Amino acid sequence: MTDMNILQVQNLKKDFGSHQVLKDITFSVNRGDVISIIGASGSGKSTLLRCINFLEDPTAGKILYHGKDAEQLNRAEYHSKVGMVFQSFNLFSNMSALDNCIIGQTLVLKRSKQEAKKKAMEYLEKVGMTPYMNARPGQLSGGQKQRVAIARALAMDPEILLFDEPTSALDPEMVGEVLSVMRDLAEGGLTMLVVTHEMGFARDVSNRVIFMDQGVIAEDAPPAEIFTNPKQQRTREFLSRILDK
Amino acid sequence: MSLPTTFFGWIQLLIEKYGPLFLNGAGFTMLIAISGTVLGFLLGLLVAIVRTIPVSKKDNIFKRILMKLVNIILNVYIEVFRGTPMIVQAMVIFYGSMMYLGLRMPALGAAIFIISINTGAYMAEIIRGGIISVDKGQKEAAHAIGMTHWQSMVHVVLPQAVRNIMPSIGNEFVVNIKDSSVLNVISVSELFFVGKSAAGTYARYFEAFAIIAAIYFVLTFTTTRLLRLLEKKMDGGKHYTICGSQSAADATITLEKGENVPHD
Repeated sequence: MTDMNILQVQNLKKDFGSHQVLKDITFSVNRGDVISIIGASGSGKSTLLRCINFLEDPTAGKILYHGKDAEQLNRAEYHSKVGMVFQSFNLFSNMSALDNCIIGQTLVLKRSKQEAKKKAMEYLEKVGMTPYMNARPGQLSGGQKQRVAIARALAMDPEILLFDEPTSALDPEMVGEVLSVMRDLAEGGLTMLVVTHEMGFARDVSNRVIFMDQGVIAEDAPPAEIFTNPKQQRTREFLSRILDK
Repeated sequence: MSLPTTFFGWIQLLIEKYGPLFLNGAGFTMLIAISGTVLGFLLGLLVAIVRTIPVSKKDNIFKRILMKLVNIILNVYIEVFRGTPMIVQAMVIFYGSMMYLGLRMPALGAAIFIISINTGAYMAEIIRGGIISVDKGQKEAAHAIGMTHWQSMVHVVLPQAVRNIMPSIGNEFVVNIKDSSVLNVISVSELFFVGKSAAGTYARYFEAFAIIAAIYFVLTFTTTRLLRLLEKKMDGGKHYTICGSQSAADATITLEKGENVPHD
C-alpha cells in the first residue's frame, strides 16, 4: 500500500500575518488519483497547492513524499516530480514554446539537448501544439499557452501534476480545449490534483472531490457522493450556489 | 595670412586646421562612453544581482549578517555616486589617487574608470528595477520545474529584465556620450577638451563649439538609432513559422507578428 501512496499532507497550516488561510489540512494522494479541490474563493485551495509545491512556506505541518519529509528532499528533484500548472500559464516569455518545454529538462534533469527536444516534441504533440512550437508565448492564445504549459510540466516526467485553476483565466471558448487535454491525461493514468471551478470536470473525471471551506477540508469523497448526497450542510450550500448559475 | 571675417569662414578654417583633432576627440569620447556604458552595465548587473538574492528567515545567521553588510556597502556606493557630480568624482579620484596612493593614472584609463563606476551606480538601480518588474509568475514557474535561484535568474528573469530596460540603458549611453565632456578636467583629450584647445588658439569660442555641438549631436543621434535597431532585433524575428498541419505534415505557414493565429 505504501508504494501506492505518493503524497501525504499532514496537519498543514499556513498563516499570512494574523490571517489563517489553512487551518489543519490532512489528506493523502495515491497513485492514479485524480482529485478535484473545490470551494469558494478564499477557502485556501490555491494556497494549499502552493504549499505542496513550496511556492509558499507552510507555517506548520508536514508534506511527505513517498513517506519522506519533502522539505528535507532535494528541491530540484522534488519539483521535477511534483509539477505545477498555473492559472496564468507563466510560460517563459523570452523563449519559444519548444524551448519552454526543453529548458527544465536540460537544466534540472541534465538531459541532453536532443533527448530533451525529442521529449518536448512528444508532449507538444500530445497537447496538440506541435504546429506552434516556434511561437513565442505572446503570439499564442490563452488556451494554447495553457496547453504548452501542460506540455512543459509533463516533459519533466512528474509523478503528480498540480493544477491551480488551469481554466479560470481563459475565455469561455478556450476552456474546452484545455479540459479535454486534462481529461486525456487523467484517462492515461496521470496522478492529478486539480483546483477548479469546473464542476463538470470534478464530477466526470476525478475519482475524489475535496471540498474546502474556510481553510479546512469540509468533505473528501467520491464525486458521486459529493454531488448527489453531500454529508455537510455547507457543501450542499456551496454546490447549490454554483450549480444554479 | 588674413583671418576670415564671416561665421562660415571661421568654421572652414577651424575644420581645415583642426578637423583630424576633432575626429580624434570624437573617437576618444565614443571610446570612453562605450567602455563606460559596458563596464558600468556589468558592474550594475553584479550589484543588482547581489541586491536581489533572496534571504529568508531559514538561512543561517552568518549568511543573513553577511548579506545585510554587503547590502549596506552597495547602498552607500549607489547613494554616493548618484548623489555627487561626476566632475567632482573625477577630481577626487584622479588627484586623490595621485596624492595619497602615489598612483599616476593615465588620463584615458582614469576617465574610463570614473565613468564606469559612476554609470554602475545608476545601472544598478535600473537593473534592479528591471528585475523587480519581471512578472512574479515567471520565477514561480521556474522554481516549479526545479530551477534554482541562479538558473531562473540567468535563463528566465535577467533576459527579460534586460530587454525591458533597454531604453534606459540606451539613455545612459547617450548621457555618457555627452557627460564624458566633464572629464576634460583630468585632461583626457575627448571632444570637449580638443574643442577648448582649438577655440583658444584664435579665441573663436562660438564657432569652435558650434562644430563640437554638431559632432556631439551626430554621435548621439546615430547611437539612438542604432539602439532602436538592436531593440528590434532582441524582440526576435517578425515572423514565426507554423509547422505541419493535420492534412499535410510538412506544410509550413509563416505568420507576421501580431497577425491572428488560426485557432484549431
